Amino acid sequence: MAAWIIIASLIAVLFIGATARTLARSRPDPDLGKLPATPLERLGWIGLGIAAALGLSLAVLVALGGAEGFFDDSPYRLVFWLLLMTGITAWFAAWYATKRRFGGVVIDERDRAVLARSLSVESMGVLLSLVVWTISLTEAFTEDGAVPLGYVQLVFWSTLIVGAFGRSVGVVLGYRRGIAVDA
Amino acid sequence: MPKAMIANTIRRLRFEHGEMTQQELATRVGCTRQTIIVLEKERYVPSLSLAFRIARVFDRPIEDIFDLVEEPERRQVT
Repeated sequence: MAAWIIIASLIAVLFIGATARTLARSRPDPDLGKLPATPLERLGWIGLGIAAALGLSLAVLVALGGAEGFFDDSPYRLVFWLLLMTGITAWFAAWYATKRRFGGVVIDERDRAVLARSLSVESMGVLLSLVVWTISLTEAFTEDGAVPLGYVQLVFWSTLIVGAFGRSVGVVLGYRRGIAVDA
Repeated sequence: MPKAMIANTIRRLRFEHGEMTQQELATRVGCTRQTIIVLEKERYVPSLSLAFRIARVFDRPIEDIFDLVEEPERRQVT
């Protein structure tokens, strides 16, 4: 079973690495020069940071506490909940601060177009995550015939984090590459 | 079909209207300043409703501000 956790972790690291590489290699549209970040773009970067930090924390906590016992009454679960709540609160605080700072319009039609396109990155991440989990859990627990409840929770939270991470990456990439300009 | 762009005269019209700032125009039409910037650089095609709101601010017909331009002609448009 440990082998499958290692394989799943490696795939997750590969996914994060490939995302970081794509972000680093994506050159901003040269015609736009140094455009000031939109409120949504700032929130995208903040979301990216929070999701990455949460994902990393979850991986570390599971590595320390073990996956099966993680959602029993363990201190690791409490730490994860605290981190999760802190992450969600931090994002909403950033949203509120952005709204106050920029006033007026925070999201307009161009932002909505970027948001709509970012859904494809989120979907890809979520699908990839589910594929990894399904294969790993099937291989690991075929003989037992049942998956421990802790893993179900882990699948849910990790998918949620991957979704938030993918959406944030999609938003950031959307602004860096620009959106369709053909009439 | 050749690629086409929507050229516009927003920047010139802003200056003709008392050097209106990008932020002021953005506030009046209900979008962000960044959208006005990319519009002026012709790197974004606005929705019809945004185009109409911009035309209304400058009190001009929409076709005076926006024009469909085939890609090879793009450099000739000012």
